[in-house]
Amino acid sequence: MLEFDGLHKSFGEVRVLEGVGFTVAPGSMFGFCGSNGAGKTTTMRIAMGLVRPDTGEVRWQGRPLDQASRRRVGYMPEERGLYPKMKVGEQVTYFARLHGLDAAAAAKASRDWVERLGLGARRDEQLEKLSLGNQQRVQLAAALVSRPEVLILDEPFSGLDPVGVDSLAEALLDQVRQGVPVVFSSHQLDLVERLCDSVGILARGRMVAAGTVEELRRREAGRLLRVVVPDAAPDWAATLPGARVVSEQNGDTLLDLDGGADDQAVLAAALRTGRVTHFAWQQPTLVELFRGAVAAPAPEEVAA
Amino acid sequence: MTAPVPHEPSSASLVRLVAAREVSTRIRDKGFIVSSVVILLVIIGAVLFQVLAGSGDDETRIGLVGGDASVVTALEAQGEALDVDVEVVEYDDEPAARTAVEDEDVEGVLLAGGEPELLVRESAGGTLEAVVQGAVGQLAIAEQLTAAGIDELEVPEVGVTAVDADAAADGQRVVTAIFGVVILYSLLILFGQFIAQGVVEEKSSRVVELLLATMRPWQLLAGKILGLGLLALGQIVAIGVVAVVAALTFDVVEVPGDLISTVAVVIAWFVLGYAWYAAVFAVAASLVSRQEDLATVLMPTSMVLVVAFFIGIQAASDPGGMLARVTSYIPGLSPLVMPVRQAAGEVALWEIALAVVLMVLAIGLVVRLGGRIYSGALLRTGGKIKMREALAAERA
Repeated sequence: MLEFDGLHKSFGEVRVLEGVGFTVAPGSMFGFCGSNGAGKTTTMRIAMGLVRPDTGEVRWQGRPLDQASRRRVGYMPEERGLYPKMKVGEQVTYFARLHGLDAAAAAKASRDWVERLGLGARRDEQLEKLSLGNQQRVQLAAALVSRPEVLILDEPFSGLDPVGVDSLAEALLDQVRQGVPVVFSSHQLDLVERLCDSVGILARGRMVAAGTVEELRRREAGRLLRVVVPDAAPDWAATLPGARVVSEQNGDTLLDLDGGADDQAVLAAALRTGRVTHFAWQQPTLVELFRGAVAAPAPEEVAA
Repeated sequence: MTAPVPHEPSSASLVRLVAAREVSTRIRDKGFIVSSVVILLVIIGAVLFQVLAGSGDDETRIGLVGGDASVVTALEAQGEALDVDVEVVEYDDEPAARTAVEDEDVEGVLLAGGEPELLVRESAGGTLEAVVQGAVGQLAIAEQLTAAGIDELEVPEVGVTAVDADAAADGQRVVTAIFGVVILYSLLILFGQFIAQGVVEEKSSRVVELLLATMRPWQLLAGKILGLGLLALGQIVAIGVVAVVAALTFDVVEVPGDLISTVAVVIAWFVLGYAWYAAVFAVAASLVSRQEDLATVLMPTSMVLVVAFFIGIQAASDPGGMLARVTSYIPGLSPLVMPVRQAAGEVALWEIALAVVLMVLAIGLVVRLGGRIYSGALLRTGGKIKMREALAAERA
């Protein structure tokens, strides 16, 4: 297990993290979402030992991550970082060696990865001569070359075209299949929804939601009911007990039900108006979950 | 894909990896290659200039018609007395001698018949006339003495006692030391720049974040300083060897032992100076994130280096003076002043020891304090960071 436990961090007066914690099982992918400035990068930097937390720790297999065990972590920083004037192959070899591979193994691993990410022909070119997408691939190669036990990637998909996104996603899924826990942050929630086994949503330095996408949905579900009644009057649902009309347009009605409200009573009321063409609990998308979770404690912030 | 077996690299091997990368990157860098070649060419050029300037001093070819071996001997002896290399060329008759004068084969011809006559092209130079006049005069005196029956004349010889017997050697060593200070200064500036640029490159490209996930800041700093230091040492040793070999080959120096020891002293001080300046430059560079901002933060240290350079040069003319004496102990200045004082030979052993100890202490301080600033500043990008902020960030 990769455990982030009770992380607190302040920079001067600014409290960036106020108790961030989540766990990632081996062989699973964890999507880390949150608005800009929510504290995702700080959380990842703490894991990599680049920022010291005020309290809390990050553990891998029950032991706090230290300089030695971090060497087994593949990391991709938010703003990327490689030597612009160093050749692609040499660069990847260098990072393999820094992660503890000996010269021969590092050279071989570097060759393999550069080849595998489709950069075999560019091996002897300087990094800065490559397109941004290809530079990103080199960055990934640098993170994967030492066969890490854990992957921590800050915004790995940003700036990639759809083909690049697919090939990176495939590479990450491949790591997951080999039992590596992968944590990545992203603003592309559809991608997180598609790839991740579990999701954490960070807002103002706190985890406001964490779990599988399914669990989050279940938590939110049971509340929103969509009923389409084309022949009904606009206020057909206004008097239903325990139900609040969220939206209504030409009979397409979204209802927010209390815990005690009876959905069958709603159906009966709907049938009384005429035809019912749609009656189902709304499956919130991750985007909606995210909006709900981020907005929940202080809606005025979102409005502003 | 076979699974490589990673192991935990030791501090030493991490430092070595960083150093090796610095060396292999820099050694392929055009700027570095060009600057190295230029410095070596300048050294060889300087030695050659010394050779040409040295060999240009007075040599006079004097033609001679008639007269016997005693005239040749007298001319040469007179030349020696006047510190002029005299070469005597004998001609059979006057017309041949005239042609030689007109062709400027010789500066003048002495017609040593009964009445001695000096043939010159336009007019006789001071030394030429003095040599010939002296030789002829001496011969005449000798002849008259012989005629008067005095064969052997007791002429008391003047004994010469040198008050400062080492002056020539000292001078030579001081010239070598000045030369050394110039090289030292150039290399310190050059490699200081290399270090600073490297630090900013890592910061601006953010690669430092990836590096620090695998090693501690001090290991990175030590690797960079060590790697470039080896290159710098290689370069100054190469320069030293080339200079010594060239100087010995062209016979520019009189005391090879002194030359070699002075070169060795300069190299030793270079090592100390480099360690200090490299660390200071690296730490200063870590405070900014863009190459454009580099000049501003390096300015104070560069100024110290420039001041040290001028004091070093000044010390050559007044090695025992108050300024040279005091600055030769001050860390940062001592690497450029002490070698000159040592070359001038007016330093007690305890003075050298004191300067070295102070310098080593200063290096220790810079590495400790600077290492903390470096750690605190590396991950903070954007604008210029104040030293106090960097120290606070390191503790956070």
